[in-house]
Amino acid sequence: MISFVAKRLWSGLWTLAALITLTFFVMRLVPGGPFSKNRKISPEVQANIEAAFHLDEPVWRQFLRYLGGLVQGDLGPSLRFRDYSVNDLIGSGLPYSLTLGFWAILVAAALGISLGMAGALRRNGPVDWATGAFGVMGIAVPIFILGPLAQLYFSLHLGLLPVSGWNDGIRSLILPVLILALPNVAYISRLTRSSLIESLREPHIRTARAKGIGPWRVLRAHALNGALLPVVAYLGPATAGLITGSILIETIFALPGVGRHFVDAALNRDYPLVMGITLLYGGFLILFNILTDITRAWMDPRLRHG
Amino acid sequence: MLEIKGLTVDFRVEGRMVRAVDGVSLSIAKGQVMGLVGESGSGKSQVLYALMGLLAENGRAGGQALFQGQDLLTMAPRALDLLRGKRIAMIFQDPMTALNPYQRVGDQLAEVLFHLPKAQAWERAVAMLERVKIPDAAARARRYPHEFSGGMRQRVMIAMALLAEPDLLLADEPTTALDVTIQAQILDLLGELAAETQTAILIVTHDLGVVARLCDRVTVLYGGRVMEEAGAEALFEAPRHPYSQGLLAATPRMEAPLAPRMTTIPGTPRAGAASLPGCPFAPRCALVTDRCRKETPQLIEGIACREVTR
Repeated sequence: MISFVAKRLWSGLWTLAALITLTFFVMRLVPGGPFSKNRKISPEVQANIEAAFHLDEPVWRQFLRYLGGLVQGDLGPSLRFRDYSVNDLIGSGLPYSLTLGFWAILVAAALGISLGMAGALRRNGPVDWATGAFGVMGIAVPIFILGPLAQLYFSLHLGLLPVSGWNDGIRSLILPVLILALPNVAYISRLTRSSLIESLREPHIRTARAKGIGPWRVLRAHALNGALLPVVAYLGPATAGLITGSILIETIFALPGVGRHFVDAALNRDYPLVMGITLLYGGFLILFNILTDITRAWMDPRLRHG
Repeated sequence: MLEIKGLTVDFRVEGRMVRAVDGVSLSIAKGQVMGLVGESGSGKSQVLYALMGLLAENGRAGGQALFQGQDLLTMAPRALDLLRGKRIAMIFQDPMTALNPYQRVGDQLAEVLFHLPKAQAWERAVAMLERVKIPDAAARARRYPHEFSGGMRQRVMIAMALLAEPDLLLADEPTTALDVTIQAQILDLLGELAAETQTAILIVTHDLGVVARLCDRVTVLYGGRVMEEAGAEALFEAPRHPYSQGLLAATPRMEAPLAPRMTTIPGTPRAGAASLPGCPFAPRCALVTDRCRKETPQLIEGIACREVTR
């Protein structure tokens, strides 16, 4: 098991290195730059600015310079938000995104798995139909519709919760967490349902039932493990996606997370910020994939010698 | 011990009920070994599943199956759980998929004795693994099913069924996956057990060699119906039903000169046999009459064929 974990960590490190290299060079290939002409500046001033940020150097040299900073934990200056480093921007936004994403994935997993199990155990019963309809809605209706609707109803009409912002403690978290979790609740409940139904049909379940240990023990000790393997596989990458922020949720609820930088940074050709955000998302994605692999290997002994 | 009367099994397929087992009756006494033979699709495994309450979701069992006076077919699942794995145990056919891939073999065995303290249950599980000739059983018990060969997994299945020392053992092709030497050992083990602990065994097989080695009596199934019921020796010496005769004639024998071709029964089983009127064997029978095709023959004195008893 230890060598299995070490192997995964080692290959994860290489994936991250490849990601950094690829993003760096692909970004430079995209036409336009951080200071190209949306405002009239004289060629001298432009050259000065570029020199200040070492943009006049050959690309390979810029790359080495970037790596040099990276190993010291310095992600460089933001080209768009003057006076801020990328470390500052991510450092100030990440706690919000982490909190939001953490609760959202927790809600999504707990709710999704229980609804999915209920559906699988009482197939075509009322709970199954309700979660089915709810699931289709959760997947089909986009966040930017649900968000404003929820704000209108719960905040403005009923006045129960704050409309937006981060100033009311746990109360300002409720709506964004629920809305962010919703599509995942829908997906996870569908996944759990179909996978549990399949797992209950496996021949070894019949063996377990023949032992006379009762339906609950059959479910808990024999059916659930196999049924949850695909759910765990989904949860890993989904967690990485949620805790690194969602631009839609953060915009709708005016939350100061890092999600908004995803699109802005790329549009502005803010090279160091794009790199920082990519690194953040890629790093979490690789980390959670490794955690997923480890969890799955712990659940399924056949995966341990991969 | 076990008395099955007019057992039927139906499956709902695309809205229609299709009969897989039609009026099977047999009884087994304490310590007796009954063989249930027939070709693939004759419904023999479904008989066992019906007794254990393990039919697929679309299946229904009818008739009566009295085990020590209680009807297994009408019993509540909870009451059935007091018998399953304790008084009645089952050996499943496919050892590759019948064990839980996520659990240590020892834990799966010990679970049968879940009312005992864990250490004690584990100890008895290891002892039983030794009895079915798993080498290095104490260490092997800590391994997972995928680390066992097919033959060893089947022996694990058998150990699991024997662990609770049941009064009735249902065995679904228990030795089909094993090589011949192990097969003989396992059959002898089952035979010993039946004699020693007075366990009754109902063993499903298509291998007449298994029947010859182990069984006291035989029920021959064809198309979901009983064709013949006889003592094992009597059946081998003088099979009465045309199907039993064909079945025995199709078995290669050591003492007979090697024929250029193996003897077979011409034709194939008719589809949905048990749902149709008439004798299910009629399309392949040499003695067939018009009456055989229309009227289903009843089982009288151990044989369901008018042409033979006439």
